Amino acid sequence: MRQSIERRSLRFSLTRIAALVLLIAGIFGGSATRCFADNGPQPDPAGIATGDKTSVQDAAGNAFVPPTPDPSSPSFAQQKKDYDAYQAQLAKEPLAGKLADSVGHIRIATNFSWTLLTGYLVLFMQAGFALLTCGLVRKKNAGHLMMLNFAAYVFAFLAYYAVGYAFQYGAAAINAAPTNLGGTPTLNHFLLGHGLWGFLGGKGFFLSGPGYDSGSLCLTLFEVVFMETAGYIIVGAICERITFWAFLLCELFIGAFLYPVFGCWVWGGGWLSQLGSTMNLGHGYVDFAGSTVVHGVGGFCAMALAVILGPRLGKYGPDGKPRAFPAHNIVFVVTGTFILLFGWMGFNPGSTLGATDLRISVIAVNTNLAAVAGAATAMLLWYVLFKKPDVTMACNGMLAGLVAITAPCAFVSPNSSVVIGVLAGVVVCFGVLFNERVIKVDDPCGAISVHGYCGWLGAVSVGIFADGTYGSGWNGVGASTYLGQAGQGVTGLLHGDSRQFLCQLMGATLCAVWAFGATYVVFWVVNKVKSMRVSAEVELAGLDVTESGMHAYPEDPIVTVA
Amino acid sequence: MKRIDAVIRPERLDQVKALLGSIGIQGASAAEIRGFGRQRGHTEVYRGTEYSVDFLPKVLLTIVAADEQVPKIVDAIIEGGRTGKLGDGKIFVTPVDEVIRIRTGERGEGAL
Repeated sequence: MRQSIERRSLRFSLTRIAALVLLIAGIFGGSATRCFADNGPQPDPAGIATGDKTSVQDAAGNAFVPPTPDPSSPSFAQQKKDYDAYQAQLAKEPLAGKLADSVGHIRIATNFSWTLLTGYLVLFMQAGFALLTCGLVRKKNAGHLMMLNFAAYVFAFLAYYAVGYAFQYGAAAINAAPTNLGGTPTLNHFLLGHGLWGFLGGKGFFLSGPGYDSGSLCLTLFEVVFMETAGYIIVGAICERITFWAFLLCELFIGAFLYPVFGCWVWGGGWLSQLGSTMNLGHGYVDFAGSTVVHGVGGFCAMALAVILGPRLGKYGPDGKPRAFPAHNIVFVVTGTFILLFGWMGFNPGSTLGATDLRISVIAVNTNLAAVAGAATAMLLWYVLFKKPDVTMACNGMLAGLVAITAPCAFVSPNSSVVIGVLAGVVVCFGVLFNERVIKVDDPCGAISVHGYCGWLGAVSVGIFADGTYGSGWNGVGASTYLGQAGQGVTGLLHGDSRQFLCQLMGATLCAVWAFGATYVVFWVVNKVKSMRVSAEVELAGLDVTESGMHAYPEDPIVTVA
Repeated sequence: MKRIDAVIRPERLDQVKALLGSIGIQGASAAEIRGFGRQRGHTEVYRGTEYSVDFLPKVLLTIVAADEQVPKIVDAIIEGGRTGKLGDGKIFVTPVDEVIRIRTGERGEGAL
């Protein structure tokens, strides 16, 4: 026992030292690019050049400063007239111009504080998920679970800081700059692809150079905690049998590659978001706060890992029938769920990236409605099926509702939110039973059903229930009119847009294929090189002591001091 | 009548219970205990300080049965509980003076 601990820590120290060397080299390399092209947009690390009269908009989104006239545009004459009139007025009233600069700065500041504060709420969801999953596993693995959740935050963050953010948002300025935060103009280069067909961003590595900008870093904080959400989802499906080193690899993989790539395609101005312009598919693939970008990616990655690892020892009897491993602490499960619900108030409304977008109240209520509808449905359904409303399924039902509303929350009505919540409640219940009994994938916390299946459902729900009251000009489509109406936003099947529905169906399924496929390929190889699963003795004794060297619940009189 | 106390590995309880069921045992009690024998525990480190974990989790299975049943029960426990490694446990057999069923007041072997 002693010997193997020493060998393990030696390998761990070596990898740590290697990572540290790479990190330092990268930081110096990254900061060297500070003095780069002098004809590109310059980063603003002090935040003094972000937010001026060009950021001023009215409630409907009309800019205070007219756009610079574009000679190739058909309305060039009108644009030039408006622009010249504005310039003349500005010359007559310079004080108004200065006031407009202040207003723009305050608008951006309002949106910065909104984005950062909602980001902190999402960060708090880490605690919620840690409690939820810890409560759902057996007592002997409680410490191991907490360690996984903790290490997930730490290592995925570092991977995202190094390359993940750059891959995801390195080209946001090309098609998806968040104007609520001042635009992030320095993130303007695709490493793979270009224009409307971008696949991977290429600016902002190690958050240096173009990434060392106050607007960009505001976005970074918000987006890193979303990535963390995808990172900890996998814990729910792989716990109780995965080795710590293998888990760290999973987190680095998610933070550096799996999540940012799909995130680039949908939110970083990449090709999925531009399908409205390139292939006339509605407003392109729409996922407001990440049913697929976050939860779908996490859930299907979890599924691939659970398949590779195999079920826990003793989960399936010799006749193939599943056995129950009851939760060791229901108090943690419910408390964790409530914390997740609270954090989701940052997750969904925060995704406007600005408090100046007053749709935030609609989003907040829609989110809660879907949550309670999901929980109620799961409780009632379980009561009908099994004569008692299982509290862990009720919690899973609430989370399912939350996951499913995450994509459509900004685009649907409260009534639709309730329907989406009900659908999610049904999907999660049957999903859990399907995974356990039919395909025999052991998922201790239901992560695959809650996040994978319901994430897919959420994205598809946008294509069904979106009612066009919000999202005009989304992904650069239909800014003046859409479906013949001025101001028509993202619309679904029930309100007359079948192409949006097709786009959602395709994109959500692609998410599942990407997350499952990429994870399965990479980790099948890793598992062949060295098994990612703990040995049978360790699994039976519990991973607390064997993987992290301490009990979660040590029994004082029986643990003697050496 | 004899009392059979068996200290077994917790993960073998299901197997032992299944084998006992197949020889028709009417009742048993199980308690979670910690113990050690020749299977030693190990030393861990907590925030830089070493401590030893000598007592390992085991299950104490207690069955009271008629004398004729004892060999079958002992064999079932051995078959279910044996892994061949240190820490499989032990079985202790002791005589029992009296057995009474609380609900009816019956005494003797009929109360088993």
